[in-house]
Amino acid sequence: MKDRIVFENVSKFYDEILGVNHLNLSIPPGITSLVGPNGSGKTTLMNLMTGLVKPSRGQIYVLGCRTDDPENLFKMVGYSTQFDAFPKGLTGFQFLYSYLQLSGRDSHTAEQLAWRAIERVNLRNDAGRNIAGYSKGMRQRIRLAQALAHDPKVLVLDEPLNGLDPLARSESIALFRAAAELGCYVIISSHILHEVDVISDQVILLSNGYVVAEGQIQTVRSEIQEHPTQILIRCTRPRELAAKVIESELASEIAIHNDGRGLLLKTRNSDNFYLALNELALNGIEIESVTPADDDVFSVYEYLIGNEEVVR
Amino acid sequence: MKSVWWRQLKAVMRLELKKTFFARRGLWIYLVALLPVLLFMAYATAVSRVQGRMADVARHGQKPLTYQDLLAVKQGMTNEEVIASVGKPASTVRWKVARTTGADASEDGVHERYNYSDGQQELYVEFVDGRAETVIVRDGNNLQRDSVMFAGVFQFFFLRLAIFFGCLGVFMNLFRGEILDRSLHFYFLAPIRREVLMAGKFLAGLIATSTIFVASEVLQTTAFLWAFHPNVRNLYLYHNHGLEHAAAYVGITVLACIGYGAFFLIAGMFFRNPIVPTAVILIWEGINPFLPAVLKQVSVIYYLKSLCPVDVPVPPGMPPLLALLISNPEPISEPVAVFGLLTVALVALYVSSLQVRRMEINYTTE
Repeated sequence: MKDRIVFENVSKFYDEILGVNHLNLSIPPGITSLVGPNGSGKTTLMNLMTGLVKPSRGQIYVLGCRTDDPENLFKMVGYSTQFDAFPKGLTGFQFLYSYLQLSGRDSHTAEQLAWRAIERVNLRNDAGRNIAGYSKGMRQRIRLAQALAHDPKVLVLDEPLNGLDPLARSESIALFRAAAELGCYVIISSHILHEVDVISDQVILLSNGYVVAEGQIQTVRSEIQEHPTQILIRCTRPRELAAKVIESELASEIAIHNDGRGLLLKTRNSDNFYLALNELALNGIEIESVTPADDDVFSVYEYLIGNEEVVR
Repeated sequence: MKSVWWRQLKAVMRLELKKTFFARRGLWIYLVALLPVLLFMAYATAVSRVQGRMADVARHGQKPLTYQDLLAVKQGMTNEEVIASVGKPASTVRWKVARTTGADASEDGVHERYNYSDGQQELYVEFVDGRAETVIVRDGNNLQRDSVMFAGVFQFFFLRLAIFFGCLGVFMNLFRGEILDRSLHFYFLAPIRREVLMAGKFLAGLIATSTIFVASEVLQTTAFLWAFHPNVRNLYLYHNHGLEHAAAYVGITVLACIGYGAFFLIAGMFFRNPIVPTAVILIWEGINPFLPAVLKQVSVIYYLKSLCPVDVPVPPGMPPLLALLISNPEPISEPVAVFGLLTVALVALYVSSLQVRRMEINYTTE
């Protein structure tokens, strides 16, 4: 429990409205992405994890710490929320400096940490400006700086890439990766599935307040039996290979790739297919690559939740 | 750990003080605090004018007069007798009025008014046909007497309205304002005990309201005393408990901020609409004299009334129920009043600390 973020049968209701229900999670270090449509419970889950809302039922432990103990919890946790409001009249620097002083840092340390966080999100030139005059992307970055400022072990980031330009996006992703490589727990929610796919070590798929699936994306995909696995084979003489695959009855559907240099097939028994492929590919057919075509987040999302409200 | 809490407390207070003192939506609190100052400035101007006029009259009279000299002038005396007694007046006004009745109705009556002063009181004598018909001795401003008026303004405007609503504006917004601004999460994301956060906010509110209202109180006292002669002022301040009264008013102001602050802090956590708790607390404080003894103690004004150094007399003929609002038939001793008020405030703060631990960030329901 001390090295995981644990949800034990957690439910949250807002009066009659369901936030999340019967969550049982054990989140390891690395980047974990929360994926789901609007209203699926991603933000509620993050707010529960950070004690901003209390569970109606169940217990939550963040590295062994209860979430109703903010004094100890936020020594380990940094949370970049979606709330786009700041205390009035503060510059970017003052915002971070005040936050660090609230965290109990003396003024010298607070100043040093504030500048370091500002550097990490590339806001040095605008640190002296009032936050009220910041663009959406800059506000996003200063929130990220707040979450990072005290070097937390757990980073909770609600749509952290929203409003960022492509350069800032890639810098932020690099930042998350670096944190994960240092052993941090990075929990990200995002609508942008290709980014989730690139950065996540594991995903939690949410729909209507329930966890639909969790774990490494390939593992999740392999557990979805009702949709055959799609495999893309790059090879010479794809028509010949397709004929052999049909004969073997290992694939339910086969299509020649548009460029004529490979084929896309669907199989319900991918392990057997991979074993048989070496035999099928004899007689001069050269196979360049064999890659699963639907073990990405988008496909899993589409199979489990449906194709709505996401950006590929 | 304690040094960390202290740093956190200071950080919260710095942020809150800046917000409270310079918030645009708090400007009306300064105006409320300024109102009684303006009232006493107007009073000082009036006192100054009256005293200036009396000094002029006394200076321009034929001879220096005492209060006894002024009292010696009686109705029925002739012009000559009055002048023999108190000298020629500083100013004389003469006019004629047509008589409509009596044997000499065809002749106009001759009216004269003489004006005298000893510098503190004024004497008006109105003669009709050479005989004093109206004699009025009017007191100038009396500091001892006017201090009752000061006490009335303090108790019934400053304490019950200005400080009450000022504390409402400051303390109710400590949490509620940030929920409405959707910025409360800033505090809730820091590794700080919610109780420390609440204490920091309360202390900041207390410093802000105490500064504003104590400044107002000091300015009121200054304006009240301004127009009086330094000798009169010194006599009042150093020999007639004036300084003690001024210190008591400052102390009561701070205690009022503590008491009302604690009530409004808790109200800001439990109620979304400030009108409801404000009305409830205002009515509760208003009906305090009619409550049973136990319930009386759960109020702020009950203790503050007993601490006020000057009793405001009940005007004659006032209905008994209304008179109860003014009088304080069962005053409690000062130490008990201070202890009682602080206990009530501490209980309110304890309840607030329980509530702040339960608070959630859920702006959408606000």
